[in-house]
Amino acid sequence: MSLLNVKNLRTSFYTREGQTLAVDDVSFSLNKGEVLGIVGESGSGKSVACYSLLGLVPSPPGKIEGGSAIFDGKDLLKLNEKALRAYRGNRIAMIFQDPMTSLNPFMRVGDQLIEALRCHNKTLSKKAAKEKALSALEEVGINNARERIDSYPHEFSGGMRQRVMIAMALVTEPELIIADEPTTALDVTVQKQILQLLKDLQASHDLAVIFITHDLGVVADMAKHILVMKNGRVVEEGSPADIFENCSHPYTRKLIAAIPQSAKPDEFKYDSSHEDFVEAKNVVTHFNNTRGLFRQRIVSTVKAVDDISLNIREGEIFGLVGESGSGKSTFGRSLIRLVESQAGDIRIGKHRIRELGNTSLREARRDFQMIFQDPYASLNPRMTVFDTLAEPLLLHKLAKKNEVLERVNHLMDEVGLERKHIRKYPHEFSGGQRQRIAIARALAVEPRFIVADEPVSALDVTIQAQILDLLLKLAKKHQLTMLFISHDLSVVRYLCDRVAVMQHGKIVEIEETEKLFLSPQQPYTQKLLSAIPRIHTN
Amino acid sequence: MSELIQELQQYEKGRSLWQDAFRRLRKNKLAMFGMAVLSIIVVLALLTPWIAPYSYEQQDLYLGATPPSAEHWFGTDVFGRDQLTRMLYGSRISLMVGLVATSVALLIGVLWGTIAGFFGGRVDAIMMRLVDILYALPFAIFIILLTVVFGRSMLLLFLAIGAVEWLTMARIVRGQVVSLRRQEFIEAAVAMGLTRWQIMQKHLIPNVLGPIIIYTTLTIPSVILLESFLSFLGLGIQPPQSSWGSLIKAGVETMEEYPWLLIYPGILLSLTLFSLNFLGDGLRDALDPRASQD
Repeated sequence: MSLLNVKNLRTSFYTREGQTLAVDDVSFSLNKGEVLGIVGESGSGKSVACYSLLGLVPSPPGKIEGGSAIFDGKDLLKLNEKALRAYRGNRIAMIFQDPMTSLNPFMRVGDQLIEALRCHNKTLSKKAAKEKALSALEEVGINNARERIDSYPHEFSGGMRQRVMIAMALVTEPELIIADEPTTALDVTVQKQILQLLKDLQASHDLAVIFITHDLGVVADMAKHILVMKNGRVVEEGSPADIFENCSHPYTRKLIAAIPQSAKPDEFKYDSSHEDFVEAKNVVTHFNNTRGLFRQRIVSTVKAVDDISLNIREGEIFGLVGESGSGKSTFGRSLIRLVESQAGDIRIGKHRIRELGNTSLREARRDFQMIFQDPYASLNPRMTVFDTLAEPLLLHKLAKKNEVLERVNHLMDEVGLERKHIRKYPHEFSGGQRQRIAIARALAVEPRFIVADEPVSALDVTIQAQILDLLLKLAKKHQLTMLFISHDLSVVRYLCDRVAVMQHGKIVEIEETEKLFLSPQQPYTQKLLSAIPRIHTN
Repeated sequence: MSELIQELQQYEKGRSLWQDAFRRLRKNKLAMFGMAVLSIIVVLALLTPWIAPYSYEQQDLYLGATPPSAEHWFGTDVFGRDQLTRMLYGSRISLMVGLVATSVALLIGVLWGTIAGFFGGRVDAIMMRLVDILYALPFAIFIILLTVVFGRSMLLLFLAIGAVEWLTMARIVRGQVVSLRRQEFIEAAVAMGLTRWQIMQKHLIPNVLGPIIIYTTLTIPSVILLESFLSFLGLGIQPPQSSWGSLIKAGVETMEEYPWLLIYPGILLSLTLFSLNFLGDGLRDALDPRASQD
């Protein structure tokens, strides 16, 4: 007798284009104490399928069209709102992706835990609830829980906040936990800790867990059974070993192949005899926190970049890795003076960056460009693709008015976008397409050096692979030198010739990529590398 | 076939944000209705000297206040002046006050807010403290002071109202700009080599147009009413000249005996207000490429 048995679940959404089936005939079952992994890219319906079970799909536009979900003998899909509430957070709990937005920022974490307890058990006294909350916090590894129980969510770090979320899910002693991308927003070392914690708790409480993720590596050694979803359908299911070793569906194969496992092909490797193109010496960038009526008082200083020196050779793709807050983005921005540095010397090609005046800096900018992380924020929503790409051409007088259209069309070809989309606005494109537009914008001025700040981390894994290959191809074709900033080590391994590891504003280690991955010298690098979730294949 | 059309469209002349916006606006019936009503009111106001049935200073004390009739469609006021004529002449004053004072507020407010929000830090702090100080200054005293120094004139009235109304606009725009400034497309514009002025003009202001338009449509009616308050203080226009605000004020005083003196100017003002709001909402949606699909 399984704990949860979902049969032929169908959920649809009404959109302007008409009705679409977000979940199309999905069935699965789950026993007590088992972990089910649901893997898929954005829009695959993996979250909607689970939200449907708890009636959490907004309706309208969502609607459950059919199927059944028998949980402990009762069909969840047939229950009304009031009856469902007795299950939600009580017998079935959820852990969300972003603990910052799913915890109430104005409520102490203790009060949130107590609220969760008392809303399902009205007879529980405040004092008893607090004791329960305390033990839950201790169980998820919050040190001196007795003090921290009165803290607000923002006073915790990202990993600790996710622990609080887990405590909230656990505190009501549920039988089933639905974890929706619980580690996606976390750094890789923190992710490893949280995964371990989930695994331990699952075993000690004999919990059933549905683990929703886009990352096959994360569920590989946790789930007993894995569903691979695409466009609302389950395209493949089986044990991890089945999935990784003899998957049959082409999409699963594509998904596995999209995870970079190795270095780039030899033809894309750089020539180490080239001269240095970018030189940074003792760069220091500080941020001041100011207070006072006119922000005249400096209360504290953050050393985001603390004395960094490195050289990048011409034609090289140089990787800069580190966890959030390590200062890697600030360093990239300091190089091309999107952020002002306080000390050091920076040379890019013939430009001595820190010495340029305002006007000469603006002119020099055509030689170095940037590709940003979030393709949804890096394009002006009120400019068409044509306007976005024409702007740099006209600004730097690289094309006459009557040549612009042709140049823009050419850029579209280069990044693999169809010319006919030229008059569309950014919101009409998918994330991957938008990132292509952003790449085209950076290439428009024919730069020699590009800073790419996490350009693929907001993208689905199959799209990510396409964009990486596009970057490789373009870098070779235009002989670009690139600083590639990323938190994702496997991506860096695939793309970069050399890698620098950053921590707390300093460089820990610089090495040829393969050497660094095979024999990391510094303890921090070793820790970082060992935290990558791996797919074990024999 | 549609492929071909799109292919052709690609080579048509580039569409700008405003061209696109007007194309979308034309499809919005409510906004077009608003625009039509406003146009009619504006045309009537412009043509007033030629179409007004009477002179605005012509009194007929024997007639006194009479309800609407064939000679006086909207009745007459206590001095026997034709209400329709006074409303028509009032439109000229009120619309001008609304337009000029709001433009002044718009110009100063948007620039001030954009600059403060974009530069941030100390520039922002100093500029916004100044706004706070002006906020704290009692409005009436400020206007009276201006009048004492510069004497009474229509131009001064416009400037005075505009100079007060821009404060809120500056705050709204600044708040929007602060949140936009951190977006990557602004950074991308810096990285491209655009000057600060170009960034504000091309990337920031178009993205705050929504709130600006909405606040503008709210400012125009409030400015029109503000004028009547100033007239009451003796700073604005004086009878026999009229404005919507002063007509409504007079109408309120005699509402129980002569309701038509309140009803007709009231309807005219409400109609203008509704039309402005419809047009404003329509413009906001039309200027956001994400709001409508086509």
